Amino acid sequence: MNKKSKILVEDVSKEFGSDKSQVQALKNINLVVSEGEFVSIVGPSGCGKSTLLYMLGGFVPPSSGRLLADGQPIVAPGIDRGIVFQEYALFPWLTVFDNIAYGLEMTGMPAAKREKAVEHYVSLIGLKGFERRYPRELSGGMKQRVALARTFAYGPSILLLDEPFGALDSLTRETMQDELQRLWRTTGKTIVMVTHDVGEAVYLSNRVCVMSQRPGRIIEEFSIDLDRSGAREDVVLSDAYTAIHNAVWVSVRRQVTHAPGIAP
Amino acid sequence: MTEQLNYSELTLRRLVRRVGALYPLALVAIAWEVTAQLGVIRGIFLPRLSTVLELIPKLAAEGQLFEPLLVSLYRAAGGLLLALFAGVTLGFMMARNRVIQFLIEPLVSFGFSSPKIAFLPIFILWFGIDHVSKILLVALTSVFPFIVSAYEGARNVTINQLWAARAMGTSNIALLQRVVFPASLPSLMSGLRIAVPYALMTAFTAEMIAGGGGLGGALVLAQRYFETPTVFAYILIMLGTGYVLDIAFIWARRYVLRWHEG
Amino acid sequence: MGLRPPAGDARTGDCALTARAIRQRTLRHLSRAVPFILFIVLWQGVSAANLVNPDFLPSAVAVGTALVRLVGAHEIFDNLGTTVFTCFVGLGLGVLIGVPLGACMATSPRIDGFFSPLIKATYSLPKTALVPLLMLWFGIGGATNITVVVLAALLPLIVYTYHGVHGVPRVLVWSALAMGTPQRNLIWRIFLPAALQEIMIGLRIAMGFSFVVGISAEMIASNHGIGKLMFIYGESGAYDYMFAATISLLVVAYCADRGLVHLTNYYLRWQDSAQRND
Repeated sequence: MNKKSKILVEDVSKEFGSDKSQVQALKNINLVVSEGEFVSIVGPSGCGKSTLLYMLGGFVPPSSGRLLADGQPIVAPGIDRGIVFQEYALFPWLTVFDNIAYGLEMTGMPAAKREKAVEHYVSLIGLKGFERRYPRELSGGMKQRVALARTFAYGPSILLLDEPFGALDSLTRETMQDELQRLWRTTGKTIVMVTHDVGEAVYLSNRVCVMSQRPGRIIEEFSIDLDRSGAREDVVLSDAYTAIHNAVWVSVRRQVTHAPGIAP
Repeated sequence: MTEQLNYSELTLRRLVRRVGALYPLALVAIAWEVTAQLGVIRGIFLPRLSTVLELIPKLAAEGQLFEPLLVSLYRAAGGLLLALFAGVTLGFMMARNRVIQFLIEPLVSFGFSSPKIAFLPIFILWFGIDHVSKILLVALTSVFPFIVSAYEGARNVTINQLWAARAMGTSNIALLQRVVFPASLPSLMSGLRIAVPYALMTAFTAEMIAGGGGLGGALVLAQRYFETPTVFAYILIMLGTGYVLDIAFIWARRYVLRWHEG
Repeated sequence: MGLRPPAGDARTGDCALTARAIRQRTLRHLSRAVPFILFIVLWQGVSAANLVNPDFLPSAVAVGTALVRLVGAHEIFDNLGTTVFTCFVGLGLGVLIGVPLGACMATSPRIDGFFSPLIKATYSLPKTALVPLLMLWFGIGGATNITVVVLAALLPLIVYTYHGVHGVPRVLVWSALAMGTPQRNLIWRIFLPAALQEIMIGLRIAMGFSFVVGISAEMIASNHGIGKLMFIYGESGAYDYMFAATISLLVVAYCADRGLVHLTNYYLRWQDSAQRND
């Protein structure tokens, strides 16, 4: 076990269902994530990648095996592991300000300090002037920005993202991806992201894990070392990006088409 | 052979589980009987469950059970039928005609949330304390769910369904009969589900207030003579009646809506 | 990437409410009064034309006069006050018991397993049937009436709270947990606000029940209250007063209902406009 590993998934399996009809969602997953890494998990629908994320979050227990964060076993949700969902999961009865302040309130930060911190994050995500709005008044992209802000605000060292941009249109998605990358770069958090968008995974992460069809296993891992210093166009249109993207895409495609019951 | 065994074993297990889930009721019954037996509370306040249960067949034999129950049911049913015809007609008319909707809708929304029992003194003034006033009060109380459900049901008939019927040469009356009404049935059944308990409750309550027989009247009479076991017996009978009617409703709904996907 | 316009609420919005919009809204509200006005006119017409025995149907004018006199006198406020007090206290107690119970049932299968059969068993019993029994226990008056109102209000409150809490999306709960919300705070901070819409619907229905049952209890046997008052007027032949008392009761019940709807819309103003009612 690498001393520096931030997240350790050891031989984890998960079954759902009662004695009559069992579904094996995940089978013998092994994964190591180092501090500051951005790891994406891609795979066909229903392969269990979200389930793995929920186990990392401590919301769902594994059927066998164990998960560790910072050397401690993951048994319950905790403030060291923040989560962002595809459906934003903002609290609709709270304003933007109160939503972002929520996590800070839970850590016991005094009100005056909280206000400053929240203001900082509100400007960071470019929503100054919207502090008193309710989520229902925001567009999808704005909601997701608030969701990201509230998770970054109280400072968990690990970030779990479950298809965070899946509900957004492609233009908004691209903007949000750059935003996420910026936040990652400046905060150095460890991020594990689940996505079905291979391009997104390759663009953002420095490691991509490909999962098989159900029961999900990690089939392949790709290390990504792109020069991301340039503009989006430079990165996406580069040969390096294209090569890695194609390789990952083929790998995922193989998982989709080689599933039992599906004609090649 | 082994498969058959497993199936019946499974159904048995399921049955046991279902009955087992009713354990709180058993607990309450046991607690009731034990408390009353021990005489912790005086018999006039809490008679034994066994006494109450034994009383029920006795009441039936004396003509004190089914006769009053049937009177109440007669009133409830009469009012319900009246409400059904009036309410459905009104609801359909509202869906069809803007003017009628404009006139009726505020009255309906006012009436829906108001305690219709408040009209009882007026109805007694007009119709006396026997059947008529109670049937009409039941009708007044139950008409609103029918109006609303008929209106909603008729409104939800899609314009395509109407056009298809017209294209096949359906007249206006036939349109109502053969398209609008069947299409509104799911909604109407929901309205009926609400209306039936209202009807029963109104019938019992009106009888309790104004006498004139029926189960409600019998209940109040038993209370006046401090016959506590009888009071409990009548409460259980009312409970049972409501339960039986609900089951009957579920069967009826399954039959009437056998074509419905919902 | 634009801002979706807020659903026409002056509190949240820009100038969503122009003078024109206000005029239109007032007109719409006033137009709903038209059928009532027509009804009163019809009523008066029928009485004036002597189509009905004035003993059975006092003219609208007579009832109106009686109403005005009643409002001036003490009697009606005392009695209406008693009735309203009974109903609201019963409703309040119902909320204090029913909402937490419904929430606990929705979050704990054990609690649900215990209470669910008990509640389902009492479903089909009209709660007014308990009045004679409660009279045997507590005698005539306050305790009996309030108790029966509590029992009547409990059912919708429990059921709708249960339904609402049950339907809270798990991603909300998980987000709250991940941000460090202690388990014991979850019901208060997450489940109840998220379930508030359903709870308010249950509250509205419970309020209707509490009025019906409260008045019924008064009519069955009571020394006080508008239900009793109506019968007193009826028995002494003061029919115009009887009608007036009935109307005043209906108006009070209607205002309470409307008040609750407005309160609901205010407290739920953060709701998605697609979910709003009334």
